[in-house]
Amino acid sequence: MLPLASLRSCASSSARAQLRAFASAAPPSSTSAAESEPLTHFRITLRRSAISLPKNIKGTLVALGLHRRLQTVYHRHTPDIAGKILTVKELVSVANVPASAVRNKLEQRLERKAPRGYVVTGSKLHAEP
Amino acid sequence: MFGAFRPTQPSMVGLLWKTPWKLSRTRKANVRSRLKQVDSVIEAVKESGVQCAALTKALELPKEHEMPPKDKYTVFSRHVRGYRKGIHKVPKWTRMTLRTNPKGF
Repeated sequence: MLPLASLRSCASSSARAQLRAFASAAPPSSTSAAESEPLTHFRITLRRSAISLPKNIKGTLVALGLHRRLQTVYHRHTPDIAGKILTVKELVSVANVPASAVRNKLEQRLERKAPRGYVVTGSKLHAEP
Repeated sequence: MFGAFRPTQPSMVGLLWKTPWKLSRTRKANVRSRLKQVDSVIEAVKESGVQCAALTKALELPKEHEMPPKDKYTVFSRHVRGYRKGIHKVPKWTRMTLRTNPKGF
């Protein structure tokens, strides 16, 4: 791989694939991993904009760290976060996830990205005479 | 008769926006899906096991399947004869909690 990949030095291709599996299939994996891992975090995604809504609702979104639609943030299960979610319950979608599913902004972007380069699967030059 | 300068009510009298007095079938379906979406958010917060005043308040709200159609598609209004108006007349109605009625209505 290229030196840029040293950003996630531990991310071998298998670990990367595991990460991707977490990202794409989080709700089913959370149910299967519920026995092994406790659900400790809220995954909050802003679905509806707060344009022209009252200041307290806009401020609540800022407090949750949400500033654009379809942005996802993770927060621990605490009463203050629960109250903030319920203040903006019309605007967000929420899921409970284990601590291993928590991703920061950079990790989310890396998971979205297509893998770099290509893999040679075969060659027709030396295939058969 | 036709074209951009035809004499219609909006072009002749200036500001004239008409709002249908009741919701269409599609808009009512969208109302129900939004209500279910909010129910799922409340359910997720409840399943997290967190206790807070906002949650007890949110759990007092009727769920989508518990609400009568009257409450889903209309709201209380003291100015209207019959005390009900279409919920789509409320500003920002798709992003507000309008599930309960005042006591006695």
